[in-house]
Amino acid sequence: MQPPIRVSAPAERLAASGLASAVTSAQIPPDEPARARRTPTALWWSLAFIVLLCLIALFAPLLAPYSPNEQLDIVGLKTRPPSFAHPLGTDQYSRDLLSRLLFGARISLSVAMLAVLLSATVGTAYGLVAGYLGGRVDAIMMRLLDACLSIPRVLLLVALLALWSPVPLGALIAIIGFTGWFEVSRLVRAEVLSVMQRDYALAARALGTPGLRIVWRHVLPNVLTPVFVAATLGVANVIILEAGLSYLGIGARAPTASWGSIFFDGSDAFQTTWWIALFPGLAIIMTVLAFNVFGTALRDALDPHQLAGGDAR
Amino acid sequence: MAISVPADAATIFPPHVFDQVGRAVQDQLFDRLADISDDLNTIGDKGFKPRLADRWEWSRDSLSVAFHINPRARWHDGQPVRASDVRYSYRIFTDPKVGSNVTSEISTIDSVSVRDSLTAVVWYKQKRPEAFYDFVYQIYIVPEHVYKDIPPEQLRTSDVTRKGIGSGQFRLARWDAGQRLEIVADTANYRGRPKLDRVVWSMVPDAGAALAQLLNGQADFLEFVPPDQLRLVDSSKADRTLPYPSLQYAFLGFNLVDAKDATRPHSIFGDRQVRRALSMALDRKAMLQNVYGTFGRMSYGPFPRSLSYADTTLHLLPYDVNAAKVLLDSAGWREPSPGAVRQKNGRPLRFSLTLPLSSRPRVAFGVLIQEQLRRIGAQVDLDQVQGKYMRRAFQLQIDDAPAVWLYDLSTVAGIQRRIHPTVLRADGWSIHLPDWTIPPNERIARDRVGLGGATP
Amino acid sequence: MRRYVAARVGQSLIVVLLVTTVSFFLIRLAPGDPFSFAGEMAMNPAVRDRLRAQFGYNRPMVEQFVLFVGNVARGRLGYSHSMHRYVGDVIVDVLPRTLLLMSVALLLSFVIGVAVGALQALRRGTWLDRMLSSVLLAFYSIPDFWLALMALLALGYWVPIFPAGGMVDQIMHDYMSLGGRIRDVAAHLVLPAITLALLSAAGIARYQRDALLDVLPQDFVRTARAKGVGERMIVLKHALRNALLPVITLLGLSLPSLVGGAFFIEKVFAWPGMGYVAANAIASRDYDLVTGTVIAGGIVVTLGSLLADLLYAAADPRLRAR
Repeated sequence: MQPPIRVSAPAERLAASGLASAVTSAQIPPDEPARARRTPTALWWSLAFIVLLCLIALFAPLLAPYSPNEQLDIVGLKTRPPSFAHPLGTDQYSRDLLSRLLFGARISLSVAMLAVLLSATVGTAYGLVAGYLGGRVDAIMMRLLDACLSIPRVLLLVALLALWSPVPLGALIAIIGFTGWFEVSRLVRAEVLSVMQRDYALAARALGTPGLRIVWRHVLPNVLTPVFVAATLGVANVIILEAGLSYLGIGARAPTASWGSIFFDGSDAFQTTWWIALFPGLAIIMTVLAFNVFGTALRDALDPHQLAGGDAR
Repeated sequence: MAISVPADAATIFPPHVFDQVGRAVQDQLFDRLADISDDLNTIGDKGFKPRLADRWEWSRDSLSVAFHINPRARWHDGQPVRASDVRYSYRIFTDPKVGSNVTSEISTIDSVSVRDSLTAVVWYKQKRPEAFYDFVYQIYIVPEHVYKDIPPEQLRTSDVTRKGIGSGQFRLARWDAGQRLEIVADTANYRGRPKLDRVVWSMVPDAGAALAQLLNGQADFLEFVPPDQLRLVDSSKADRTLPYPSLQYAFLGFNLVDAKDATRPHSIFGDRQVRRALSMALDRKAMLQNVYGTFGRMSYGPFPRSLSYADTTLHLLPYDVNAAKVLLDSAGWREPSPGAVRQKNGRPLRFSLTLPLSSRPRVAFGVLIQEQLRRIGAQVDLDQVQGKYMRRAFQLQIDDAPAVWLYDLSTVAGIQRRIHPTVLRADGWSIHLPDWTIPPNERIARDRVGLGGATP
Repeated sequence: MRRYVAARVGQSLIVVLLVTTVSFFLIRLAPGDPFSFAGEMAMNPAVRDRLRAQFGYNRPMVEQFVLFVGNVARGRLGYSHSMHRYVGDVIVDVLPRTLLLMSVALLLSFVIGVAVGALQALRRGTWLDRMLSSVLLAFYSIPDFWLALMALLALGYWVPIFPAGGMVDQIMHDYMSLGGRIRDVAAHLVLPAITLALLSAAGIARYQRDALLDVLPQDFVRTARAKGVGERMIVLKHALRNALLPVITLLGLSLPSLVGGAFFIEKVFAWPGMGYVAANAIASRDYDLVTGTVIAGGIVVTLGSLLADLLYAAADPRLRAR
C-alpha cells in the first residue's frame, strides 16, 4: 500500500478544502515522543491492556464472585469498605462492587465500541460520497456537516436522552453513534480528495475504470487506516461520554451496571464511601488512557507525518 | 444566612408557586390571613393564630367569616393592605385564566366580599370542618394595586410577578434567576422586624458540592443531608445537624385500572391477591433502614407518623416471601421454570416502576424493590424520569382518565399539597411516592392503599 | 480577502439556520411539554389546555416551527416556563458568565499548551518531553466531571484554598468594593477555569510541539542556527512565531468541546452559566429554553470558528491576497 500523503499544515488543508474549518480535529491527545524508538512499546502495552479488558468483559460471568445485581444483605452488608470477602467493597444496596465492575466492563466497552462502529460506518460512507461526488453536492453536504459540528454535542445528547428518558441501551448506542460521525466523515472526505489526485487514481480514471471501482480499490483502503485510528480515539471519548451521561443519571438504566452508572451511585457520597466512586473512576481513566495511547501510538506508527486526525469530545 | 438548595424557584407569585424554594420564599414575602399553629390542627379555627387578619368572626349560620385586617399592615411599597386585596387574591387564585395550582382545593368557597376597607368576608357554599383552613391556608394575600392592570392570562409571563411585593416580614432584595435569591428584613413591618437581616438562597445543583459548601462555611444551611454523610457534618466544628420530623410519607402505589379502559381492572394489579403478594415480598423494615438508617419510621397508613392521630395499631401485612410465592401461585401466576419470570395465560409478570431521578431516596427504594420482587419472579423495569416532570405515558393517564388520579387527602391537611404522584405507564401500573425532602417517615404500600386507586 | 470574508460570513449564517432547525425538531419531538409536569399536577386539565393553546404547544409541529422561526428572526427566542422569563433575557444574563469562564479557560489552555509544547520541542526526546506528554494525556483521559469533582473536593474542601463552587460570595459580594468584587469573581473562577483548561491543553500542546518540530528543520531556522543563535532563542523567537499560526485555528476548533466540557464543569461548580441553565431547563422540560441554549451554544461555536478563520486569513499572506 502506498503511504498516504496527508495534507498536514492547516494552510494546505485550507487549499484542499477551501475552508479553514475543514481542519480536522481540535482534541488531539499528545503522543508518545521519540516515536521511532518508543512507539512499539506503548502500542503493545496499550493493546495488551485493551485485549485484557475485552477478555474480562467477555468472561465476566466466570470471573465475578457474585451476580452483579444481587443484593446480598441490604442491612448488614451495606456500603462495606474493601475486605477479603469483597475486594472492592459493596455499594449502598449491598451489591458486590467487584462483580459490578467486571460486568460493567461489558456495558461500557460494548456501548462505546458499537457506537463508534456505527459512527465510523456512517462517517466513512458520508465522507466517501461527498468526496467522490464533489462539486455542488459536496459543498451542500459539507455545509450540513458544519452545522452538525456546530451543535454542542454534549448539550444535544443530554437534552435528547433526558427528554426521551428512559432510553433502552440500543437507542443509547444509536443516539451516541449518530451524533459522533461528523469528524470521521471530514477525515474521510479529505482523504478521498487527496487520493483522487494521486497518480494511480488519475491513471485508473484515464483508463476508464468505473468510479465505484476506484473508490473500492484505491480510496477505501487508504481511508480505512485513519478511520481506524480515529475510531480508537473515538472509543476513548465515548467511554467518557457514556460515563458523563450516567453521571447525570440518563445513561444505562438501573440496575444495569456500567462504569458510569456505578460511579453515579457513588458520586454523591464520595467523601464517606469513597470506594464506590473511586474504582469505576479508575477503571474509566485507565481504559480511556489505554485507548488514547493505542490510538496515538498507532497513528504515529502508521504515519509519522500526520499531525491531526481523531475525534472531538 | 445562606441556604444552599439544588434548584431555583420557578416563580414566587403565590398562585403559581409549586416548588420547595418558591414555597419557602413565598412564606417570607407574603402573608396568609391566619397561620396554622404548631399543633397542626386544621379543623375549625381553633388551631389558627392571627397573621394579616388580627381577628375574625363567623356568621351565625357558619357559612361566612369576616376577617379584620391588621390596620398597621403595609405592602412593601408602602401602600396599606385593604380588604379589596383579599377579594382580589381570591379572584386570581380561582381565575382559570391565571391557572393557579390550587383552584381545585378551594372549590368549597363561594365568594369573597368587601364589607369595609379593612374587613373582608369569605362566603362558603357548604359547611365543612376544614372550611376555615381551605381559605386561610391556600390563599396568600397579594396586592391588588400592583397587579390589577395586567390581564390575568399574562400574569404567568409578567415580570411584575417577580418583584415579590407582599406584606411579609421580609422583602425581596434581589433575584438572579438560577443563581441566587436574596430577601432582606422589612424593617417597618407590622409584625415587627425579623431576627435575620438577610437570607440568601443559593443554587448548587451538585449534591457533593452543596455539602462541601456547607462544610467549608460558604453555606449556612442545607436542608437534606443523606444519612450516610451525617458523620461529616457531625465531625465539623461549625455545623450541626438538626433532625426534625417530616410531614411526609412514601408509599408504593398500584395502578388498579386498565390503561386503556378505566372501567376495567388492571390485568396484574386488579387482583387483590397479587397486590398482597407483592406487598408481602417487600422487606419494608430492611429497606427503610437501608435508605434512611435509623431516621426512618415505618408508617401504618396513609398518614405521617408525626401527626397526633397516626394510628399504629393497624394490622400490617407481614414480610413473608414464601407466603407471597404461594399467593402468586394460587392467583395463577406461575414460574415456567425455577427462577424465571412468572406467567399467567402467556402474559409475563412484568411492569414498570416510575421514579423521579431527582430524588435519591426514591431511586434507592426503586432499586431495592426491583431486586426483592425479582426474587419472587416479578420483573420490574425502573423508569427514571428526569426531574419533577412527567412523561407522556403519565399524561395519558392524567388527561384521559382523570378519575384514576383524583384523591383528596385534606383529612391529612397540610400534606395534601405535598403529594405529587410520581408514576406509571400505559401498560400498567403505578408507583407512587410523594415528594419529600426530609425522611423520617416512610411507608411502602399496604394493600388497598393505592391512592391512585379508583376503588375504595 | 473581502470575498473570502463575505463567503465565510454567509456560510456561518447558513450553519446557524441549520442548527436552529435541527435543534428545534430534535427537542420539540420529545414527549411532553412544559405544562405536563408533576409540580402543577393540581392544575386542572382545562387550564393546562388553555396554556398549551396560549403558547402554541397544541399546534402541529410544522406550524410551531414556522412560528418559532418567525420569532427567532425577530430576535425572540421564546418564553421560559421554568424561569418565567423570556429566553432571550435568560441567555443575555447567563451567556457572558459562560463566555467569561470559557475565555479564561481558553486563554489558560493556550498558555499552558503553547508553553508545554515549546518546552517539549526544546527538550525533544528527553524524559521531560515524555513525562509532559504522559501527564497531559492522563489529564485528557480523565472524565471532565470527575476531574471537576476531584478539584472541588481537594482544593475547595480538604484544603480549602478556593471557594467550593458558585460565581461570587453569595453573602458579601454586593457589599464589596469594585476591586473586591473582581477579586471575588476571580477566586471563584480559578478552579473551574483550570479544570476546563487542562482538558483541552493536551491537544494544544501536542499540536504546538509537532508544529515546532516541523518548523525547526526549515531553512530560516537553519540560517539562524548557522549564525550562532542559541537553541532556546531559535525556538522562542523564530520558530514559535511561525508555529503559532495553526494554533489559532485549533483554538476555534476546540470550542465545541469547551462548550461540552463547560456543561459538566458548570454543573459541578454551580457556575451559573449556559450549561447550568441548560441542565435546569432540561429537567423542567422547558423546551424553548433548552432549544435556546442549544442554539446559543451553536452560535458561539460558529462565531468562534468564523473568528478563528478570519484571524487566520488575516495572518496568512496567501489568503490575504484573495
